[in-house]
Amino acid sequence: MAEPVGIAIEGVSKSFGTLQALVGIDIGVKAGEFLSLIGPSGCGKTTLLKSIAGLNPIDAGRIVIGGRTVSGPGGHEASLVFQDFALLPWATVRENAEFGLLLRGVPPSERAEAARKALHKVGLAGSFEQAYPAQLSGGMQQRVGLARALAVNPQVLLMDEPFASIDEQTRRILQDDLLRMWQEERKTVVLVTHSMEEAIYLSDRVVVLSPRPGRVHKVLDVPLPRPRQALDVRASGDFARLVDELWQILKKMQ
Amino acid sequence: MTPATVQEPAFGRGGFAAIAGLLVVWELLGQMHLTIFVPPASAVAQAWWGLVTDGTLFRAAGSSLLSLLKGFVPAAVLGVALGLAMGRFRSVRYLLDGWINAFMSAPLSALVPVLIALFGIRDTVVAATVFLFSFFVIVVNTTTGVRGTERSLVEMARAFGASEAALFGRIYLPSALPAVMLGLRLGVVQAVKGMVVGEMLISLVGMGERLIYYGNTFLIPELYAVIVSVLLVAILSSTMVQACEHLFVRWK
Repeated sequence: MAEPVGIAIEGVSKSFGTLQALVGIDIGVKAGEFLSLIGPSGCGKTTLLKSIAGLNPIDAGRIVIGGRTVSGPGGHEASLVFQDFALLPWATVRENAEFGLLLRGVPPSERAEAARKALHKVGLAGSFEQAYPAQLSGGMQQRVGLARALAVNPQVLLMDEPFASIDEQTRRILQDDLLRMWQEERKTVVLVTHSMEEAIYLSDRVVVLSPRPGRVHKVLDVPLPRPRQALDVRASGDFARLVDELWQILKKMQ
Repeated sequence: MTPATVQEPAFGRGGFAAIAGLLVVWELLGQMHLTIFVPPASAVAQAWWGLVTDGTLFRAAGSSLLSLLKGFVPAAVLGVALGLAMGRFRSVRYLLDGWINAFMSAPLSALVPVLIALFGIRDTVVAATVFLFSFFVIVVNTTTGVRGTERSLVEMARAFGASEAALFGRIYLPSALPAVMLGLRLGVVQAVKGMVVGEMLISLVGMGERLIYYGNTFLIPELYAVIVSVLLVAILSSTMVQACEHLFVRWK
């Protein structure tokens, strides 16, 4: 299994025309860390995530994943998980899970094997493989999205509000499954979210971004014990206190 | 947004019931002998059978269908190709969008004199009319289909390192396919219109020529028999394209 790598975001700025989306962003993500980006809409959290993936060229600064400076999309270190799942509607679950490998030119037998393993990890082994995305619930579609991201065995998972359009019960199950996978696979995760509970529950650290232009406003440590999914952390007073602390930060920013 | 595609069969059970009802009303009206322009349905059926057995209809339809094929196949191939290019490349779109839209909304029959000048009045001119009538709707639908490709699918593929060719073949093309098939279906219906216009207004061949002839000679049941046959050609062509659509677009 690939060793986790850190991400260095150094003095990153990005504007779209006259709109300054990000200004002087400095964040160091440790290898194997679970880090969340949160902030009001317009704070550039998704822009930053896509810049890490190489999809948004930045105007200033640099982003280094492991030893490699990001210069464009297609790097093998990181996989993206999308809010709208971004599944190919014309491809089966298995073909979707294999898609990243297909684009990287992995031979069919290896592809099938890796996709099967990844689908197994996300709890979608067997009978679902031949289904089309439209036949699956939102939660299951995002499991396919996650399997596709994992199938290429990345060192970093970049997740853009992955559970935002999924109902509350399913979301909690997916969060717990994500934590379990993260613990088993030791990947570095950067998660964009607008849910304070989600950020606190999942992360080691939460980076709060302020809007227009997007800057790092505050970094909140989350010293809750792990494995959180087993310890019923959500019911603890510490959890509630941290969510409230995050809320106070966000509230003052309005 | 991909344009919605109609998934109902062109001719459902309800369609057949409606046609049966219409035939009954037609027959009753005809039997009242109000005017020679409304012959009873049975007389039309008889005339139709007559035209089938003496070979007139097959000769006419054969010539018509050949023109339809010679016009529609190039329109489909070139229309899809141009639509893909316009959908994918902004420069091509900027260059041609105005022209395509002008031709989309223009009454194409106005081009008849130009076509006569270009192709004379032999049956190639019918193929040319078929092409002109069907080409633009295919281009526009294909362009719309490509442009409706979900952004996140493109980002996903790019993030995995997709080349331009892979992006086109694995994301844009399959994404556009339902809209392409819809364009072809609308296109083939337009093509039949073009065929009839070409044959009636320009070339006087095929089924169009028969329509003019029976109209001018007041052989009204025969006239209706040919009209019904033209309708059948339209419905059959559209159904055939739809069958292809079901074959290619299986995930919906």
